[in-house]
Amino acid sequence: MRRLFYLVREAWANMRTNRMTTIVAILTTAFTLTCVGVFLLLYMNLQHAAGWLQEDVKVMVYLEDRLSRDGRLQMELMLKSDHMVASVLYISKEQALTEFRTQFPTDSQLLEGLGENPLPASFVVTLAPNFRSPEAMKEWVEQVQTMEGVAKVDYNQQWISLLSELIGYIELAAISVGILLSAAAVTIIGNTIRLALFARREEIEILRLIGATGTFIRIPYFLEGAVLGACGSALSLGILKVGFEVFRQQVQFISRFSGMEGLISFFPFSACLALVLAGMVLGFTGSVVSLLRVGEARA
Amino acid sequence: MIQLIHVSKWYDRRPALSDVMLEIEKGEFVLLMGPSGSGKSTILRMLIGEEQPDEGQLFVQGKNVTKLKRSEIPYLRRKVGSVFQDFRLLPKKSVFDNVALPLIVQGVSEKDIRRKVTEALRAVGVEHKRDQSPSSLSTGEQQRVCIARAIVNGPVVLLADEPTGNLDPELTGEIIELFKLINARGTTVVVATHNHHVMQQVNRRVITLMEGVVLPERAVPERVGV
Repeated sequence: MRRLFYLVREAWANMRTNRMTTIVAILTTAFTLTCVGVFLLLYMNLQHAAGWLQEDVKVMVYLEDRLSRDGRLQMELMLKSDHMVASVLYISKEQALTEFRTQFPTDSQLLEGLGENPLPASFVVTLAPNFRSPEAMKEWVEQVQTMEGVAKVDYNQQWISLLSELIGYIELAAISVGILLSAAAVTIIGNTIRLALFARREEIEILRLIGATGTFIRIPYFLEGAVLGACGSALSLGILKVGFEVFRQQVQFISRFSGMEGLISFFPFSACLALVLAGMVLGFTGSVVSLLRVGEARA
Repeated sequence: MIQLIHVSKWYDRRPALSDVMLEIEKGEFVLLMGPSGSGKSTILRMLIGEEQPDEGQLFVQGKNVTKLKRSEIPYLRRKVGSVFQDFRLLPKKSVFDNVALPLIVQGVSEKDIRRKVTEALRAVGVEHKRDQSPSSLSTGEQQRVCIARAIVNGPVVLLADEPTGNLDPELTGEIIELFKLINARGTTVVVATHNHHVMQQVNRRVITLMEGVVLPERAVPERVGV
């Protein structure tokens, strides 16, 4: 018990002795982890948005005007019995016109000039969740396009694919920045530990001479590294949370984006814990790098 | 207890020890005499695994120190107490905590730490200073604390490197008496010194070193060190 108490007290004493270095190490670690956190937050929210859009993707099957009522009913039946289809909604030419007038009241006069309703009847098809991937969707659309009575098939997959591509780039950037800045955090904490080792070199020498094992000597520094990493990580989460809330409020005030604030979210509690743990691991790694040779070189 | 067999050591091609043959029995009190640079400290450092000989074998309590793994050296040091000329006490810790350190590193229970540290401090006569900082003590008291730390875990051998180097003759006498007491309890004591007065006060076996060579015990010069 006294041994454990001693080790924890030594770690605390190290941090107190090098107070300024400890604070600088925590702040710089927090800053680097905040940069990584921004990418992670962006990545997480875009991933959510992509998932949400993918769920909502609809395929518009426009019908030729010459298609008879029976032909339309037969097609509806075929679509409904397709295992790849979750739901089918028929929109008649009249319903399409009414919807157009509701959505674009100022432009509706343009259609009146034409005399006849130019809008085609259509089926709004939602595919089953298992078939919403860009590849499956494309395959299905190509199949439907060849059907008798189908004028055109439209879906908004293209820009969802673009979003997926963008998410891929952000993921890559997050990983690259994460690796680079994590290495920076390890170096910063490693240097702090090295300073602590230098400040306490005489004490370490005495411990070695009275029979302390390398592990016993190293443990307080491992603890110090882990604590620095965890503090830096926790602080970065605090900074990110404040920044996130400010951003969300800004979104709320800008009328164009009003309502979007509900769609963006901060890291869940489990992810926050994982980030603090990641900070601890980085700090611990920094200590390990600094301490690899202590207690062994002259054991 | 201690055996050095054909031990040699060089520093930058300069011999520090040349073919040293030495045997110290269990319970002996031995003085390692010789001027600075004669190899006394090198022998003591080798006995705690701090340095390795370039040639020869070295045994402490039957264990070949030259063959010990790095991870085994701390366990050797727990059996061999060390006393230093500059005391090497931790200034930010109390006398009690300084003496308790060897027991803490061994994971001794809280109760035993309290008992053993109290006994060690009593044995060296500084029990009443247990809560003070080492820097508030006199040099003689600091050396006593250093000795208490060296004997607190009941070592089989006590090594002291110039333990009276920083002390006046009166304090030197007191410390030597302390070593005699520790030796009387069965601990093998090896004191390295260049101080001729210590030799006169101890009046025990003297091993003399000169430029890394052990002189025949009968051929010890009258005054080697000073």
